[in-house]
Amino acid sequence: MRRVVGPLLAVTVALVLADSAVVTLALPDILLNLHTSVAQVAWVLISFNLVLGLVAAPMAIGSGLVQPRILGAVGIALFAGSSAWCAVAGTIEVLIAARCLQALGGALALVGCLELLVAVYGERRGVATWVTAGVVGTAVGPVAGGLLTQAFSWQAIFVVQVPFAVLAVPAALAIATAPPLVQDRHRPAIRPNLTLALLSAALTAALFLLVLLLVQGWGHSPAVAALTVSVVPLAALAARPLARLLRPPPDVEVAAGCFLVAGGLAGLALLPSSNLAWTIAPQALVGLGLGLTVDRLTSQAMEMRLPRAQHAGWTIGARHLGVVLGLAILTPVFTADLQDAQVPAQEAITALVLDAPLQPDSKIAIAEALGAELTQQEGRIPDLHRAFATLDLDPSERPAAAALERELDGQLERAATWAFRDSFLVGALLALLALVTVVVPRRRSAS
Amino acid sequence: MTTRAQLLGLPAVAVALVSGVLAVQLNHGGGTFEPLAPADPCAERTVTAQAQGIDGLTERLVLLGLDGAGCRLGLSREALTLQLAQPGPRTDEEVDALRAGLLDAVDRMKEDGTLPPASELVDEAMDNADLNSFLEAAIRALPASVIDAALKTDDVLVNTIEDLDLRAVLENIDDQDELDAQMNAAVTQAVKDALLDRLRNLI
Repeated sequence: MRRVVGPLLAVTVALVLADSAVVTLALPDILLNLHTSVAQVAWVLISFNLVLGLVAAPMAIGSGLVQPRILGAVGIALFAGSSAWCAVAGTIEVLIAARCLQALGGALALVGCLELLVAVYGERRGVATWVTAGVVGTAVGPVAGGLLTQAFSWQAIFVVQVPFAVLAVPAALAIATAPPLVQDRHRPAIRPNLTLALLSAALTAALFLLVLLLVQGWGHSPAVAALTVSVVPLAALAARPLARLLRPPPDVEVAAGCFLVAGGLAGLALLPSSNLAWTIAPQALVGLGLGLTVDRLTSQAMEMRLPRAQHAGWTIGARHLGVVLGLAILTPVFTADLQDAQVPAQEAITALVLDAPLQPDSKIAIAEALGAELTQQEGRIPDLHRAFATLDLDPSERPAAAALERELDGQLERAATWAFRDSFLVGALLALLALVTVVVPRRRSAS
Repeated sequence: MTTRAQLLGLPAVAVALVSGVLAVQLNHGGGTFEPLAPADPCAERTVTAQAQGIDGLTERLVLLGLDGAGCRLGLSREALTLQLAQPGPRTDEEVDALRAGLLDAVDRMKEDGTLPPASELVDEAMDNADLNSFLEAAIRALPASVIDAALKTDDVLVNTIEDLDLRAVLENIDDQDELDAQMNAAVTQAVKDALLDRLRNLI
């Protein structure tokens, strides 16, 4: 029974925390499918993280009054039900409401699962399993979401969560536990939670912005984007062996991790071209940084602190409010930069069309088609292929027109990459702020 | 492992990795991957056209003229083109700058010897002109050397540009057929007027 129940609960923890970023790669599809705006679709991400961040600590504080198995089962059931509701949402408002409910269920499930995993595996291994499942979920979420969106649809992301969660409900109920008796009460660990919040904001930049750049800016499919960002979790796996090899003190490990995340984000801000290969090394730095920091900080925030669930609640709150902070800072920055990038992009397109080796009539026809396409896609990165597909050009002009289309796409990629630059730099700054919280000397406590 | 190595090992690796990645990226143009910057409209530019005859000449004139107008208005050629592509009335400043830019373009093409001789344009102009058949046949029969001696391309173009209703042309900028018709009519009229004028003088 332990063999089945433990992994099911760990998968549930991973699913809840994966939901923080799982829809990132599906946002362009949701945008089109639910006929909404960029600002509204961002709330599919923000709402989940905001609710989870706000309710996790109060839920955890109140959890001592209820049996963990009941708390866990109710939370998982609510999470499963609202995941199903997300999958059938027909409007953006319904989807956002369902995401809020999903986060509420997720918060209950996370708190309940922590106590249940401790009951199944014991204190040390139970907490470690809970922490690791969360890190794996966070890192793998965007990749899994992208692959599911590409293979099926954005709804599939929510559908696949339902059976796992449904199986986890009886698994939670099967564990006989009483609310833990707490003799000692410790204050929340402010420093690791603050570092975690800032780092989560920075990691949001890495994952959220990078997938947007890949899908919206460079026009890759969600599957290609998912495979590309899989570098982050793969590099995160290398962090433990590296730490074991060099055996740094915990604070040094976290500081180095923050520096690696900042360096990776600076690398993403300074991409030399839109070739996917250039994103690998910066992502590897981010992944290594993630692997060195998130589980270490989560452990620091919870280690030897009671009540356990309450400190888990503070940690979940810090992480997810950090994600919201990241989105709140970065969304206006990159949407404004994307807007600002329109003028240089249009001028570059105009220059290439004016100088194209085509007949004047063809140039005017192309300019008209491009103008119509740019007007239709106001505020988003346009799909120039549609403009070229509508043209009735002389066959002798087609090679030059095709070359022009490639050059114009290249200019759009340049403009998009340029537009994301400042946001990645802001993300790097957030990671450096996280580093500051680690290296600033602690106040000596009076003895 | 010593305490010092434990303290410095991982930070050293992190610094090396970050520095290495950023150095390689900057060496390959990282930070400069941005859209094509518009060229200075006041700097000399070489323009080419795929079209032949009057169309090709008009295209080169317009491309150079946009530069000249942009230079006067303090805008890039691209920014001016985008501005002119917007619907709405044109300002006197825009129209005057465009006319002056086109006249500059004629001077520039004359200076660098890229203006075609008038004889190369006459047949095409006659195809579009509504002349009586006797007069048309007479003009077509003229040897190229006579036409080139009697008719200077730059004079024809300057007359065309000065007589052209640029405001009307700009209003029809998104109606390709109307634009072609207006440009052809203006060039043809200028060629026709100049030729008739010379013929009258000869007679």
